[in-house]
Amino acid sequence: MRVAATDRDTTLGTTGRAVRLLAAAVVLVLATAGTVWGQDSAFPFGPFRMYSTRSGTDVPVNSTRIDAITAAGVRGPIADADTGLRRAEIEGQLPRLIADPSLLELIAQSYVRRNPDRPPLIRIEIVVRRYELRAGAATGQYSDTVLAAWDADDTTPEPVP
Amino acid sequence: MRRLGRWWTEPLPMARFAVFRVVVYLFIPVDVLLTTPWVAWHADVPTELYQPLVVGGLLNLPLPTRLVVLGVQWALIVTALLAATGRSPRLLGALVFLLYFEWMVIAMSYGKVDHDRFAFLVALAVLPTVGVARWRDRGRSEAAGWALRCVQVAVVLTYFFAAWAKVRFGGWDWVTGATLTRAVIRRGTMWADWTLDVPNLLVGAQWLLLGFELLSPLILLARSDRARVAVVAFLLGFHLMTYAAITIIFLPHVVALLSMLPWERLRRVTEDSAEDSGDAGAASGTPSSPVSAPGGRPDR
Repeated sequence: MRVAATDRDTTLGTTGRAVRLLAAAVVLVLATAGTVWGQDSAFPFGPFRMYSTRSGTDVPVNSTRIDAITAAGVRGPIADADTGLRRAEIEGQLPRLIADPSLLELIAQSYVRRNPDRPPLIRIEIVVRRYELRAGAATGQYSDTVLAAWDADDTTPEPVP
Repeated sequence: MRRLGRWWTEPLPMARFAVFRVVVYLFIPVDVLLTTPWVAWHADVPTELYQPLVVGGLLNLPLPTRLVVLGVQWALIVTALLAATGRSPRLLGALVFLLYFEWMVIAMSYGKVDHDRFAFLVALAVLPTVGVARWRDRGRSEAAGWALRCVQVAVVLTYFFAAWAKVRFGGWDWVTGATLTRAVIRRGTMWADWTLDVPNLLVGAQWLLLGFELLSPLILLARSDRARVAVVAFLLGFHLMTYAAITIIFLPHVVALLSMLPWERLRRVTEDSAEDSGDAGAASGTPSSPVSAPGGRPDR
């Protein structure tokens, strides 16, 4: 059986081998360069940076969420699937959303598209919960802060205290 | 250099490649519809929230409108299922790669870039280069060897470069920080929340994680089938544990990891059981000829 198997081996020609090794080398160089100098926007050759930043052992842990009030008057947090954006995506765009809270209207639009049968949102807040850490351990204390807010009837950006 | 080239194109069983390729293509509908549903959510997100990647600008990729997202989604699923049949592997495989790449651009262009799919993208890029391959093939092929090796190197680089990023962005004292504590606070499950009461445990886990990632290139030294199965089992255990703790699993990466398994043994197992059951003549002295007709087909 070994013999039969080797009989059917296929090899690469000189060109086929050279092209393949060159392609592998190019991808290796790009991936290495992305890791050493690149940023996220260089995907797929950006740095593999999930969980790569260091969280200080006495620095609060931030967790962002979206709170909303519906036209029916119900207040509560909105799930990722309802806005079409993951928490990390909201966090990635946070500076932009804080600078211009009227952009939150886009999230209200996306909510309506994803939930056509539910009452629309009349107020959206981006809230960050800061969990206190002491020497790397959670103390159980936390505080909530509204980073940006938008109201349906008032499209002018609302200053956040 | 020459030795490296020979290592990278070492002939590997065509059957191993053939099974791996089907697994990869069949995983795509699972990924798109079930395990990574949030990419398709972007169909409903106004394009003002689209934050284009460099590649989106370079290739002039279209704005991900609802039509574009849903069109790419369904074209990708259909093409992947067709590619899984093994027909026109070069054409369909290239289409799957291009569509999946665009799918990833849609995924990563809204403010968060993940790195769980580098090896899977590499797999999709190299799979079409091998041509026709069947799981009953008995030969070894250098083209298949190159493709499988590329995927394995990409798997290892995902770990190794993740370590590099930790040192680059977090510094060497990343290991003594509270990164895993932060992860558990934000996403911890009932299986992980208790670790918050034991801070040194998670710091210890950070040492182990960085150590493992830095040493990951050693994975490529696993030569025997047994060693590679053990490596895959270890890595699967690692990813399952991560999933149990913070519900993050690098599923496409895990699928790429399967390129290390000796899939050609499946054929032997099924043929042995056919012989055991006294299958008509198959066991009578010419065990290899009738079933392996397509085996010698050149791969180019």
